Parts: sequence; C-alpha cells; structure tokens
Amino acid sequence: MQTMNELMDQLKRQIIERLNLKDHTPKDIGDDAPLFVEGLGLDSIDALELIVLLQQEYNIKLSRAEDGPKVFHSVRTMAEYITEHSPEKTTA
Amino acid sequence: MKVYIRSAGNISPQHSLDKELFLGHRIAQGGSRMTALEPDYTHFVDAKMIRRMSRIVKMGVAAAMECLRAGGIQMPEAIITGTAYGCLEDTGIFLRRMIDNKEELLSPTAFIQSTHNTVGAQIALLLKCHGYNNTIVHRGFSFENALMDARLLLQEGADNILTGAVDEITADSHAILSRFGIYKKEMHGPGIPEDQKKGTVAGEGASFFLLTHQAQGALAEIRHLETIYKPKHFGDVENRIQQLLLESSLTIDDVDLVITGHNGDPAHDEIDIYLSDTIFRNKTTFPFKQLSGEYPTASGFALWLTSGLIGGQKAPEWFPAIPLPLKHILICNHDLNAHHALYLISAC
Repeated sequence: MQTMNELMDQLKRQIIERLNLKDHTPKDIGDDAPLFVEGLGLDSIDALELIVLLQQEYNIKLSRAEDGPKVFHSVRTMAEYITEHSPEKTTA
Repeated sequence: MKVYIRSAGNISPQHSLDKELFLGHRIAQGGSRMTALEPDYTHFVDAKMIRRMSRIVKMGVAAAMECLRAGGIQMPEAIITGTAYGCLEDTGIFLRRMIDNKEELLSPTAFIQSTHNTVGAQIALLLKCHGYNNTIVHRGFSFENALMDARLLLQEGADNILTGAVDEITADSHAILSRFGIYKKEMHGPGIPEDQKKGTVAGEGASFFLLTHQAQGALAEIRHLETIYKPKHFGDVENRIQQLLLESSLTIDDVDLVITGHNGDPAHDEIDIYLSDTIFRNKTTFPFKQLSGEYPTASGFALWLTSGLIGGQKAPEWFPAIPLPLKHILICNHDLNAHHALYLISAC
C-alpha cells in the first residue's frame, strides 16, 4: 500500500511529465507550495491537464468544479483528495 | 501600391537563422525528408512558455522574433500567417490520446495548440500585439494569400505587417503522405535526387517577413505576385510570366536569376523542363528545394533566399554565378504542380 509521501512523490513526477516542466525535478516542488500563480506558476490550461491527470491516472472525476482551487492548491491537497476518493486507500 | 520587405527571419533545414552566415555552410541532408535545424529557443521565448509549444510553434515564433529584431520593430501592426498543415504534431498527440483513452479524455494542451492559428496567436501573445491577426489556410497558396492579405492592409494604410509561412513534417504526416506517393520511397543522398522516380523530398520550415510601404532600408520589393491553379498548358505559365514582366515594363532579359520550384518528381517537374527550354533558356536558374525540401509554403523559403540575395547583393560561394548588382529575381514555384506561384522581386 502506498504511503502519503510516496503518493506525493509520484504526483510530482506525473505533474512534471504531464505539464512538460523540463527544468524541474520532484525536489523542486514543495509538498505544500502553491501550484498556481505563485510556486510553480501554473495557469488555467494546466488546471485542465491536472483534471485529466486525476481521471486518467487515478480514475477520479472532480465532481464539483468549485472544489478545484482547494484540491489543486498543492501536491499535498491533491494527494489528500486522491486518498479520500480512491478505492485504493493509502496509509499515513 | 508598393510592398517592401524590411526584414526577414527563417528556420529551415539550413543554417538560415544566422543572417551573417547566409547559407555559407550548406547543409546536405539525405533521405526522403529534410528536417529543420532548430536553434536554442530560450534565446527567443521565455522558458515557461516554451514548455507548451510544439516544434512548429517554436519555429514560427523564433523566425518571427528574428524578423522583428532584424527590422528593428518591436510591435507589428498586424500578424498574418500562412500554413497548409497547421500544427500537425499536436494534432497527432491529441488524436492518439483520444484513441488511447477510448474517446473519453482529451489532452487539453495538445488540443488547444493543434489549431492552425496557434503560431500567429503565440506570436501575438508574446508581443502583446492586439492588432489584426489572421491565419490563411489554402494548401499551396497559403503563403501567397497571406501576402495578398498583407498587401490589402498596406493599401489601407497599415505598416509593418508581420507575414509568415510555416509548415512542419512529422513522422506521422510523412508516413501518410508517403502512402499517397508524394515522397520518394528510396533513401537518397543529399538534395533533390534526379532519379526519374516518383515522389519528392519532404521539407519544412518557418519564414517571416516584415512588410512595409517604405523603401528606405528595405531588403527588396515584392513587385509582383501571381498565382495559377492547375494550368491547363505549360504555355499558360509562360504567358503569365511574359505578362507579369510586361506589366512591370521588363522583359526576361532584365531578370538576373530565376528561383524555381523544381522538386525532383518527374510528374511535377515537366513544367520546369518546359520553361527552361523556352522562356528561361539562357537564364541562370536555381532550384531552391534542394535546400528546403518540398512543402506547401516552401515559397516562404524562396522569398527569404531571394530577399537575402537582393538585400545583401551577394551569394554564397557555392551558389551559381549571378550578375551583380542583382536587380530582378523571378521566383517560379509550384507545389506538386498544382499551385503555381510567380513572384517578381526587385532591388529597392
């Protein structure tokens, strides 16, 4: 079973690959650093890519659009959302 | 209405982005596909924006930025792009992912960037240019119609119109078009093979020009531009050339060099053979696709080459002997012998 840290590390690698962040490594992305505007400086097109990433990699559909800012605030909030909504539970 | 080329920027299978070099080192690519030599794009575009750009977008943006830099203009009044294929790489990516995901998930970035107007849009975004922005998609006449659109804008009083031609060849498009017999099947040495076998050599590139109605400091004048779609007889093209020259009070004797669209496919090159035996007899000709390969907007490369020759009044060492000073160059291009374009380019 995947730990929260393992899930966050996996998410960082997937974000880098999906968003083509060639100059970044997982170490460059803080667990709690904001993904949008500050931090990585992602934008609305990236948000669409992250929604597709959740659906494709974790089979999770973001049911309410208004949850987006909260879910995609940081790698940790994404990982928590995945943990809550995934049939495969992670350990703390 | 006079149309002048203030500056040009080009990315091609040659080292064409280096203005000082101006084809000094000729690159000889073999095979049935010539690939553009790409620069370090971080010199032209912010690294954060590059990550979303496909090859053709980066090529177009870099050629446009180099053109603006060379022209000393920061903000064009309009951006007009001619492209036949558009952004093939991103189109392939999003279509493939749709299939992989059983048509349930789209790849947003590739989908958004797959449209034909992405190159013009990205240039405008980078420059924060809110002026006229149009992309012309018309097969082998895409670039010619972009130039005509620019001419109309210049007539209306606008100036410094950034006008370009962009097309890419991808592994997928090369494979598909090869199935249609457009490209040669055998591997070849450098340039355009004269093997009398069907097919040509694929090419790609991005060319941008800053068009103005001011002659001062310009590289060259686009004196005449004409298109002919599927001429019934070779003599029709010859007559149009005669007419074009007559309208400019010139004869073929005044033309210093003819740049031809000869592409190595015997089915397409009959027109070039006919013209070389008739109106171009005794003229120095240069088939430019040995440098760029064949693609629907390849005349952008021909115009870049021509404006460089006339603007610089010199040619690379390996180039055929041409009289100096160069006053008039005729570009006589065709895309797969269907879309014929005639340009008369003159010194300012």
